[in-house]
Amino acid sequence: MTFSLIGRCTRTGRLGLGITTFSLAVGGRCEGVVANIGVCKTQAFPNRTNDPLGIKLLAQGHLPKRVMEMFAANDTEHSYRQIGIMDRDGRIAAHTGPGCRGWAGHKEGTDCVAFGNGLVGPQVLDGMIAGFLENPGDALEYRLMRAIEGGRDAGGQGTPDAHRPERSAAIKVVDRRDYPDVDVRVDVHPTAVAELRRVLEEFKLYEEFYRGRDTDPAKAIPQDVFVKELDARRRARA
Amino acid sequence: MTFTLLARCPKTGQVGIGIATYSICVGLYCNGLRGNVGATMSQAFVNQGNNTLGLRLLAQGYTSQRVLDDLKANDPNHEYRQIAVIDRNGRVAASSGAKNRGWAGHHVGDGYVAMGNVLAGEKTVTAMAKAYEASAALAFERRLLAAIEAGRDAGGQSGVDGHLPERSAALMVYGDYDHAEIDLRVDLHDTAIEELRRAFEEYDQYRGYYKERGKNPKDAIPQYQFVAELDKKQQQEAAQ
Repeated sequence: MTFSLIGRCTRTGRLGLGITTFSLAVGGRCEGVVANIGVCKTQAFPNRTNDPLGIKLLAQGHLPKRVMEMFAANDTEHSYRQIGIMDRDGRIAAHTGPGCRGWAGHKEGTDCVAFGNGLVGPQVLDGMIAGFLENPGDALEYRLMRAIEGGRDAGGQGTPDAHRPERSAAIKVVDRRDYPDVDVRVDVHPTAVAELRRVLEEFKLYEEFYRGRDTDPAKAIPQDVFVKELDARRRARA
Repeated sequence: MTFTLLARCPKTGQVGIGIATYSICVGLYCNGLRGNVGATMSQAFVNQGNNTLGLRLLAQGYTSQRVLDDLKANDPNHEYRQIAVIDRNGRVAASSGAKNRGWAGHHVGDGYVAMGNVLAGEKTVTAMAKAYEASAALAFERRLLAAIEAGRDAGGQSGVDGHLPERSAALMVYGDYDHAEIDLRVDLHDTAIEELRRAFEEYDQYRGYYKERGKNPKDAIPQYQFVAELDKKQQQEAAQ
Protein backbone atom coordinates (compact mmCIF):
# COMPACT_ATOMS: atom_id res chain seq x y z
CA MET A 1 0.00 0.00 0.00
CA THR A 2 1.64 3.13 -1.33
CA PHE A 3 0.76 6.09 -3.53
CA SER A 4 3.30 7.85 -5.69
CA LEU A 5 3.56 10.37 -8.46
CA ILE A 6 6.43 10.84 -10.87
CA GLY A 7 6.41 14.29 -12.43
CA ARG A 8 8.37 16.47 -14.79
CA CYS A 9 8.57 20.25 -14.95
CA THR A 10 8.46 21.25 -18.61
CA ARG A 11 9.87 24.71 -17.86
CA THR A 12 13.06 23.46 -16.23
CA GLY A 13 13.29 19.79 -17.22
CA ARG A 14 13.52 18.85 -13.56
CA LEU A 15 12.27 15.39 -12.63
CA GLY A 16 10.92 14.18 -9.34
CA LEU A 17 9.06 11.68 -7.23
CA GLY A 18 6.54 12.22 -4.44
CA ILE A 19 5.67 9.13 -2.42
CA THR A 20 3.92 8.11 0.77
CA THR A 21 3.00 4.79 2.32
CA PHE A 22 2.06 2.78 5.37
CA SER A 23 5.53 1.16 5.28
CA LEU A 24 8.39 2.73 7.20
CA ALA A 25 11.27 4.69 5.68
CA VAL A 26 10.04 4.60 2.07
CA GLY A 27 12.45 7.38 1.08
CA GLY A 28 15.31 4.95 1.65
CA ARG A 29 14.00 2.90 -1.23
CA CYS A 30 13.88 5.70 -3.81
CA GLU A 31 17.31 5.48 -5.41
CA GLY A 32 15.79 5.51 -8.91
CA VAL A 33 15.59 9.30 -9.26
CA VAL A 34 18.59 10.37 -11.28
CA ALA A 35 19.42 13.67 -12.96
CA ASN A 36 19.58 13.71 -16.75
CA ILE A 37 18.41 10.09 -16.91
CA GLY A 38 14.96 9.58 -15.45
CA VAL A 39 12.87 8.16 -12.66
CA CYS A 40 12.10 4.53 -11.95
CA LYS A 41 10.12 3.41 -8.92
CA THR A 42 9.08 -0.16 -8.09
CA GLN A 43 6.58 -0.63 -5.27
CA ALA A 44 3.83 -2.96 -3.92
CA PHE A 45 6.01 -6.06 -3.44
CA PRO A 46 9.15 -4.29 -4.62
CA ASN A 47 12.05 -5.92 -6.38
CA ARG A 48 14.82 -3.78 -4.93
CA THR A 49 17.19 -4.43 -7.82
CA ASN A 50 14.68 -3.09 -10.39
CA ASP A 51 15.27 0.62 -9.86
CA PRO A 52 19.08 0.66 -10.16
CA LEU A 53 18.76 -1.65 -13.18
CA GLY A 54 16.07 0.55 -14.73
CA ILE A 55 18.23 3.64 -14.36
CA LYS A 56 21.14 1.87 -16.07
CA LEU A 57 18.88 0.77 -18.94
CA LEU A 58 17.49 4.30 -19.36
CA ALA A 59 21.04 5.68 -19.31
CA GLN A 60 21.95 3.28 -22.11
CA GLY A 61 19.24 4.88 -24.18
CA HIS A 62 16.31 2.52 -23.77
CA LEU A 63 12.78 3.87 -23.78
CA PRO A 64 10.65 3.46 -20.63
CA LYS A 65 8.42 1.01 -22.50
CA ARG A 66 11.44 -1.11 -23.40
CA VAL A 67 12.76 -0.98 -19.83
CA MET A 68 9.41 -2.29 -18.63
CA GLU A 69 9.62 -5.21 -21.08
CA MET A 70 13.07 -6.00 -19.74
CA PHE A 71 11.78 -5.93 -16.17
CA ALA A 72 9.05 -8.39 -17.13
CA ALA A 73 11.61 -10.73 -18.70
CA ASN A 74 14.06 -10.40 -15.78
CA ASP A 75 11.76 -11.04 -12.82
CA THR A 76 9.75 -14.18 -12.06
CA GLU A 77 7.52 -12.15 -9.70
CA HIS A 78 6.83 -9.28 -12.10
CA SER A 79 3.08 -9.81 -11.61
CA TYR A 80 3.44 -8.66 -7.96
CA ARG A 81 5.23 -5.42 -8.78
CA GLN A 82 3.90 -1.95 -9.41
CA ILE A 83 6.31 0.15 -11.45
CA GLY A 84 6.42 3.70 -12.80
CA ILE A 85 9.10 4.88 -15.22
CA MET A 86 9.67 8.30 -16.79
CA ASP A 87 12.63 9.30 -18.90
CA ARG A 88 14.15 12.76 -19.14
CA ASP A 89 11.85 13.66 -22.02
CA GLY A 90 8.76 12.81 -20.01
CA ARG A 91 7.97 9.51 -21.74
CA ILE A 92 6.13 7.18 -19.39
CA ALA A 93 5.64 3.47 -18.83
CA ALA A 94 3.63 2.05 -15.94
CA HIS A 95 2.73 -1.43 -14.74
CA THR A 96 0.38 -2.65 -12.04
CA GLY A 97 0.72 -6.42 -11.67
CA PRO A 98 -2.44 -8.42 -10.94
CA GLY A 99 -0.78 -9.65 -7.71
CA CYS A 100 -0.85 -6.15 -6.16
CA ARG A 101 -3.26 -6.16 -3.23
CA GLY A 102 -6.29 -3.97 -2.55
CA TRP A 103 -7.36 -1.42 -5.10
CA ALA A 104 -4.32 -0.88 -7.33
CA GLY A 105 -3.75 1.05 -10.51
CA HIS A 106 -1.90 3.75 -12.39
CA LYS A 107 -2.96 6.77 -14.41
CA GLU A 108 -1.12 9.20 -16.63
CA GLY A 109 -1.71 12.94 -16.51
CA THR A 110 0.00 15.91 -18.13
CA ASP A 111 3.73 15.50 -17.37
CA CYS A 112 3.05 12.93 -14.68
CA VAL A 113 2.06 9.40 -13.78
CA ALA A 114 0.30 8.48 -10.54
CA PHE A 115 0.33 4.91 -9.26
CA GLY A 116 -0.70 3.21 -6.08
CA ASN A 117 -1.87 0.02 -4.43
CA GLY A 118 -3.81 -0.86 -1.29
CA LEU A 119 -5.83 2.31 -1.94
CA VAL A 120 -9.43 3.19 -1.17
CA GLY A 121 -10.04 3.58 -4.90
CA PRO A 122 -9.16 5.32 -8.16
CA GLN A 123 -10.11 8.69 -6.66
CA VAL A 124 -6.71 8.69 -4.92
CA LEU A 125 -4.91 8.77 -8.27
CA ASP A 126 -7.27 11.48 -9.51
CA GLY A 127 -6.59 13.48 -6.34
CA MET A 128 -2.85 13.18 -6.88
CA ILE A 129 -2.98 14.27 -10.50
CA ALA A 130 -5.29 17.18 -9.67
CA GLY A 131 -2.89 18.26 -6.92
CA PHE A 132 0.06 18.07 -9.29
CA LEU A 133 -1.71 20.09 -11.98
CA GLU A 134 -3.15 22.69 -9.61
CA ASN A 135 -0.30 25.22 -9.96
CA PRO A 136 1.89 24.30 -12.93
CA GLY A 137 4.02 27.41 -12.37
CA ASP A 138 5.17 26.24 -8.93
CA ALA A 139 8.53 24.61 -8.29
CA LEU A 140 8.32 20.86 -8.90
CA GLU A 141 8.82 19.97 -5.20
CA TYR A 142 5.68 21.93 -4.29
CA ARG A 143 3.69 20.30 -7.09
CA LEU A 144 4.77 16.86 -5.85
CA MET A 145 3.83 17.85 -2.31
CA ARG A 146 0.37 18.92 -3.50
CA ALA A 147 0.08 15.61 -5.37
CA ILE A 148 0.59 13.45 -2.30
CA GLU A 149 -1.60 15.75 -0.22
CA GLY A 150 -4.27 15.40 -2.94
CA GLY A 151 -4.00 11.61 -2.74
CA ARG A 152 -4.25 11.67 1.03
CA ASP A 153 -7.26 13.98 0.96
CA ALA A 154 -9.00 11.71 -1.55
CA GLY A 155 -8.89 8.88 0.98
CA GLY A 156 -5.38 7.44 0.68
CA GLN A 157 -4.72 3.85 1.68
CA GLY A 158 -6.91 1.11 3.07
CA THR A 159 -10.54 0.27 2.47
CA PRO A 160 -13.67 2.37 3.07
CA ASP A 161 -13.92 0.57 6.46
CA ALA A 162 -10.27 0.61 7.49
CA HIS A 163 -8.11 3.60 6.61
CA ARG A 164 -4.35 3.02 6.80
CA PRO A 165 -2.27 6.02 7.83
CA GLU A 166 0.73 7.38 5.94
CA ARG A 167 3.67 6.43 8.14
CA SER A 168 6.50 7.56 5.84
CA ALA A 169 6.83 9.96 2.93
CA ALA A 170 9.46 11.51 0.68
CA ILE A 171 10.01 14.01 -2.10
CA LYS A 172 13.03 13.85 -4.34
CA VAL A 173 13.75 16.29 -7.17
CA VAL A 174 16.73 16.23 -9.52
CA ASP A 175 17.92 18.90 -11.92
CA ARG A 176 21.19 18.82 -13.86
CA ARG A 177 23.63 17.97 -11.06
CA ASP A 178 24.27 14.37 -10.15
CA TYR A 179 22.90 14.84 -6.64
CA PRO A 180 19.34 15.81 -5.79
CA ASP A 181 18.14 19.41 -5.66
CA VAL A 182 15.53 18.54 -3.06
CA ASP A 183 15.47 15.36 -0.99
CA VAL A 184 13.24 15.55 2.08
CA ARG A 185 12.04 12.63 4.15
CA VAL A 186 9.83 11.51 6.97
CA ASP A 187 10.61 7.91 7.95
CA VAL A 188 8.48 6.99 10.98
CA HIS A 189 5.52 9.24 11.81
CA PRO A 190 1.77 8.83 12.44
CA THR A 191 0.87 11.58 9.92
CA ALA A 192 3.82 11.49 7.58
CA VAL A 193 2.38 13.65 4.79
CA ALA A 194 1.61 16.55 7.12
CA GLU A 195 5.06 16.18 8.67
CA LEU A 196 6.67 16.14 5.22
CA ARG A 197 4.95 19.44 4.42
CA ARG A 198 6.49 20.89 7.59
CA VAL A 199 9.97 19.58 6.66
CA LEU A 200 9.70 20.85 3.08
CA GLU A 201 8.61 24.34 4.13
CA GLU A 202 11.47 24.53 6.63
CA PHE A 203 13.98 23.18 4.10
CA LYS A 204 12.96 25.82 1.57
CA LEU A 205 13.90 28.52 4.10
CA TYR A 206 17.42 27.09 4.32
CA GLU A 207 17.93 26.03 0.71
CA GLU A 208 19.57 29.22 -0.50
CA PHE A 209 21.71 29.58 2.63
CA TYR A 210 23.02 26.02 2.31
CA ARG A 211 23.79 26.43 -1.38
CA GLY A 212 25.56 29.75 -0.87
CA ARG A 213 27.53 28.44 2.10
CA ASP A 214 28.84 25.55 0.05
CA THR A 215 29.67 27.36 -3.18
CA ASP A 216 31.03 30.53 -1.59
CA PRO A 217 32.12 29.57 1.94
CA ALA A 218 34.21 32.71 2.54
CA LYS A 219 31.03 34.83 2.60
CA ALA A 220 28.87 32.47 4.68
CA ILE A 221 27.62 33.53 8.08
CA PRO A 222 27.54 30.83 10.80
CA GLN A 223 24.35 28.78 10.66
CA ASP A 224 23.34 29.58 14.24
CA VAL A 225 23.47 33.28 13.29
CA PHE A 226 21.37 32.54 10.19
CA VAL A 227 18.82 30.70 12.34
CA LYS A 228 18.60 33.64 14.75
CA GLU A 229 17.86 35.98 11.84
CA LEU A 230 15.30 33.51 10.53
CA ASP A 231 13.58 33.36 13.92
CA ALA A 232 13.57 37.17 14.15
CA ARG A 233 11.90 37.40 10.73
CA ARG A 234 9.33 34.82 11.81
CA ARG A 235 8.58 36.77 15.00
CA ALA A 236 8.27 40.02 13.04
CA ARG A 237 5.75 38.41 10.69
CA ALA A 238 3.78 36.96 13.59
CA MET B 1 28.70 21.72 12.78
CA THR B 2 28.36 18.05 12.20
CA PHE B 3 29.72 14.86 13.67
CA THR B 4 30.15 11.69 11.72
CA LEU B 5 31.38 8.14 11.92
CA LEU B 6 32.20 6.71 8.47
CA ALA B 7 33.35 3.11 8.38
CA ARG B 8 33.84 -0.14 6.54
CA CYS B 9 32.85 -3.21 8.52
CA PRO B 10 35.85 -5.57 8.64
CA LYS B 11 33.55 -8.57 9.12
CA THR B 12 30.98 -8.01 6.36
CA GLY B 13 32.63 -5.55 3.98
CA GLN B 14 29.61 -3.24 4.36
CA VAL B 15 30.20 0.49 4.35
CA GLY B 16 28.17 2.84 6.47
CA ILE B 17 27.68 6.24 8.00
CA GLY B 18 26.23 7.59 11.21
CA ILE B 19 25.83 11.37 11.11
CA ALA B 20 24.16 14.12 13.13
CA THR B 21 24.16 17.88 12.78
CA TYR B 22 22.55 21.18 13.56
CA SER B 23 21.71 21.57 9.85
CA ILE B 24 18.41 20.16 8.68
CA CYS B 25 17.97 17.29 6.20
CA VAL B 26 21.60 16.11 6.48
CA GLY B 27 20.74 12.73 4.97
CA LEU B 28 20.39 14.43 1.60
CA TYR B 29 24.16 14.98 1.60
CA CYS B 30 25.04 11.35 2.35
CA ASN B 31 25.26 10.08 -1.20
CA GLY B 32 28.83 8.81 -1.00
CA LEU B 33 28.36 5.13 -0.15
CA ARG B 34 28.33 2.14 -2.45
CA GLY B 35 28.70 -1.57 -1.82
CA ASN B 36 31.91 -3.11 -3.19
CA VAL B 37 33.27 0.36 -3.93
CA GLY B 38 33.76 2.35 -0.73
CA ALA B 39 32.53 5.36 1.16
CA THR B 40 33.16 9.08 1.17
CA MET B 41 31.64 12.03 2.97
CA SER B 42 32.21 15.76 2.56
CA GLN B 43 30.89 18.06 5.27
CA ALA B 44 31.45 21.46 6.95
CA PHE B 45 31.07 23.76 3.93
CA VAL B 46 29.98 20.97 1.64
CA ASN B 47 31.11 20.55 -1.93
CA GLN B 48 28.15 18.51 -3.11
CA GLY B 49 30.01 17.25 -6.16
CA ASN B 50 32.69 15.62 -3.99
CA ASN B 51 30.84 12.47 -2.97
CA THR B 52 29.73 11.50 -6.45
CA LEU B 53 33.19 12.25 -7.90
CA GLY B 54 34.89 10.45 -5.01
CA LEU B 55 32.79 7.33 -5.57
CA ARG B 56 33.65 7.28 -9.25
CA LEU B 57 37.34 7.60 -8.46
CA LEU B 58 37.10 4.79 -5.91
CA ALA B 59 35.30 2.63 -8.47
CA GLN B 60 38.13 3.28 -10.94
CA GLY B 61 40.49 1.75 -8.40
CA TYR B 62 42.16 4.74 -6.76
CA THR B 63 43.20 4.40 -3.13
CA SER B 64 41.45 6.54 -0.56
CA GLN B 65 44.46 8.86 -0.24
CA ARG B 66 44.61 9.35 -4.00
CA VAL B 67 40.89 10.17 -4.07
CA LEU B 68 41.30 12.70 -1.27
CA ASP B 69 44.24 14.32 -3.07
CA ASP B 70 42.18 14.64 -6.22
CA LEU B 71 39.12 16.08 -4.44
CA LYS B 72 41.38 18.77 -2.97
CA ALA B 73 43.15 19.49 -6.25
CA ASN B 74 39.73 19.86 -7.90
CA ASP B 75 38.27 22.40 -5.46
CA PRO B 76 39.48 25.99 -4.95
CA ASN B 77 37.60 26.03 -1.62
CA HIS B 78 38.98 22.75 -0.29
CA GLU B 79 40.24 24.42 2.90
CA TYR B 80 36.59 24.87 3.89
CA ARG B 81 35.74 21.19 3.48
CA GLN B 82 35.98 18.29 5.86
CA ILE B 83 36.37 15.04 3.95
CA ALA B 84 36.70 11.34 4.70
CA VAL B 85 37.32 8.54 2.20
CA ILE B 86 37.42 4.78 2.75
CA ASP B 87 38.27 2.40 -0.07
CA ARG B 88 37.15 -1.20 -0.40
CA ASN B 89 40.29 -2.37 1.36
CA GLY B 90 39.37 -0.33 4.41
CA ARG B 91 42.15 2.20 3.91
CA VAL B 92 41.14 5.56 5.28
CA ALA B 93 42.08 9.11 4.31
CA ALA B 94 40.66 12.22 5.96
CA SER B 95 41.14 15.96 5.95
CA SER B 96 39.77 18.80 8.08
CA GLY B 97 40.47 21.96 6.10
CA ALA B 98 42.06 24.90 7.91
CA LYS B 99 38.96 27.05 7.33
CA ASN B 100 36.48 24.73 9.02
CA ARG B 101 34.81 26.70 11.79
CA GLY B 102 34.93 26.09 15.54
CA TRP B 103 36.73 23.05 16.84
CA ALA B 104 37.19 20.74 13.87
CA GLY B 105 39.12 17.53 13.52
CA HIS B 106 39.13 13.84 12.75
CA HIS B 107 40.40 10.60 14.19
CA VAL B 108 41.42 7.86 11.81
CA GLY B 109 41.19 4.30 13.10
CA ASP B 110 41.28 0.84 11.59
CA GLY B 111 38.70 1.00 8.79
CA TYR B 112 36.89 4.00 10.16
CA VAL B 113 37.07 7.74 10.66
CA ALA B 114 35.37 9.86 13.31
CA MET B 115 35.18 13.53 12.34
CA GLY B 116 33.38 16.72 13.09
CA ASN B 117 33.40 20.51 13.04
CA VAL B 118 31.93 23.27 15.19
CA LEU B 119 32.17 20.76 18.04
CA ALA B 120 32.33 21.13 21.79
CA GLY B 121 35.88 19.86 21.40
CA GLU B 122 38.04 16.90 20.56
CA LYS B 123 36.06 14.91 23.13
CA THR B 124 33.15 14.55 20.70
CA VAL B 125 35.37 12.87 18.12
CA THR B 126 37.22 10.76 20.69
CA ALA B 127 33.97 9.53 22.21
CA MET B 128 32.66 8.47 18.79
CA ALA B 129 35.85 6.55 18.02
CA LYS B 130 35.85 4.85 21.43
CA ALA B 131 32.20 3.83 21.17
CA TYR B 132 32.73 2.44 17.69
CA GLU B 133 35.75 0.41 18.76
CA ALA B 134 34.13 -0.80 21.97
CA SER B 135 31.04 -2.12 20.18
CA ALA B 136 32.72 -4.60 17.82
CA ALA B 137 30.39 -7.37 19.00
CA LEU B 138 27.30 -5.51 17.76
CA ALA B 139 25.83 -5.37 14.25
CA PHE B 140 27.58 -2.76 12.10
CA GLU B 141 24.58 -0.39 12.01
CA ARG B 142 24.32 -0.48 15.80
CA ARG B 143 27.99 0.43 16.10
CA LEU B 144 27.43 3.50 13.91
CA LEU B 145 24.43 4.52 15.96
CA ALA B 146 26.31 3.97 19.23
CA ALA B 147 29.10 6.18 17.91
CA ILE B 148 26.94 9.23 17.23
CA GLU B 149 25.10 8.76 20.51
CA ALA B 150 28.47 8.82 22.26
CA GLY B 151 29.44 11.95 20.33
CA ARG B 152 26.24 13.60 21.48
CA ASP B 153 26.77 12.54 25.10
CA ALA B 154 30.32 13.90 25.04
CA GLY B 155 29.03 17.38 24.23
CA GLY B 156 28.30 17.24 20.52
CA GLN B 157 28.36 20.60 18.76
CA SER B 158 29.03 24.07 20.10
CA GLY B 159 28.32 27.30 18.20
CA VAL B 160 28.40 31.04 18.75
CA ASP B 161 26.24 30.87 21.91
CA GLY B 162 27.21 27.45 23.20
CA HIS B 163 25.71 24.01 22.69
CA LEU B 164 23.89 23.33 19.42
CA PRO B 165 21.23 20.64 19.25
CA GLU B 166 21.22 17.85 16.69
CA ARG B 167 18.39 18.79 14.35
CA SER B 168 18.91 16.09 11.74
CA ALA B 169 20.60 12.71 11.63
CA ALA B 170 21.00 9.70 9.38
CA LEU B 171 22.11 6.09 9.40
CA MET B 172 23.06 4.32 6.17
CA VAL B 173 24.59 0.96 5.37
CA TYR B 174 25.43 -0.47 1.96
CA GLY B 175 26.34 -4.09 1.33
CA ASP B 176 26.40 -6.20 -1.79
CA TYR B 177 23.72 -4.35 -3.75
CA ASP B 178 23.28 -1.11 -5.66
CA HIS B 179 20.60 -0.12 -3.19
CA ALA B 180 21.04 0.61 0.51
CA GLU B 181 20.51 -2.07 3.13
CA ILE B 182 19.65 0.62 5.63
CA ASP B 183 18.82 4.21 4.76
CA LEU B 184 17.14 5.96 7.66
CA ARG B 185 16.78 9.66 8.23
CA VAL B 186 15.48 12.22 10.64
CA ASP B 187 15.33 15.50 8.76
CA LEU B 188 13.90 18.02 11.22
CA HIS B 189 13.66 17.30 14.93
CA ASP B 190 14.67 18.86 18.26
CA THR B 191 16.51 15.72 19.39
CA ALA B 192 17.35 14.05 16.12
CA ILE B 193 19.62 11.31 17.47
CA GLU B 194 17.01 10.07 19.94
CA GLU B 195 14.47 10.13 17.13
CA LEU B 196 16.86 8.24 14.84
CA ARG B 197 17.31 5.58 17.55
CA ARG B 198 13.52 5.30 17.83
CA ALA B 199 13.11 5.07 14.05
CA PHE B 200 15.88 2.48 13.80
CA GLU B 201 14.50 0.22 16.53
CA GLU B 202 11.08 0.40 14.89
CA TYR B 203 12.42 -0.15 11.39
CA ASP B 204 14.67 -2.99 12.54
CA GLN B 205 11.59 -5.06 13.38
CA TYR B 206 10.30 -4.68 9.81
CA ARG B 207 13.52 -5.35 7.92
CA GLY B 208 13.12 -9.10 7.56
CA TYR B 209 9.47 -8.71 6.59
CA TYR B 210 10.20 -6.11 3.91
CA LYS B 211 13.02 -8.14 2.41
CA GLU B 212 10.99 -11.35 2.26
CA ARG B 213 7.89 -9.62 0.92
CA GLY B 214 9.82 -8.38 -2.09
CA LYS B 215 11.51 -11.70 -2.77
CA ASN B 216 8.55 -13.97 -2.17
CA PRO B 217 5.35 -11.94 -2.64
CA LYS B 218 3.02 -14.92 -2.89
CA ASP B 219 3.50 -15.92 0.73
CA ALA B 220 3.66 -12.42 2.24
CA ILE B 221 1.02 -11.55 4.83
CA PRO B 222 -0.52 -8.06 4.48
CA GLN B 223 1.50 -5.46 6.34
CA TYR B 224 -1.33 -4.38 8.62
CA GLN B 225 -1.55 -8.01 9.76
CA PHE B 226 2.20 -8.02 10.37
CA VAL B 227 1.82 -4.80 12.37
CA ALA B 228 -1.03 -6.27 14.43
CA GLU B 229 1.12 -9.30 15.28
CA LEU B 230 4.02 -7.02 16.15
CA ASP B 231 1.81 -4.96 18.46
CA LYS B 232 0.52 -8.11 20.13
CA LYS B 233 4.06 -9.38 20.69
CA GLN B 234 5.09 -6.04 22.18
CA GLN B 235 2.09 -6.01 24.51
CA GLN B 236 2.90 -9.54 25.68
CA GLU B 237 6.51 -8.58 26.28
CA ALA B 238 5.43 -5.48 28.20
CA ALA B 239 3.07 -7.56 30.35
CA GLN B 240 5.83 -9.97 31.34
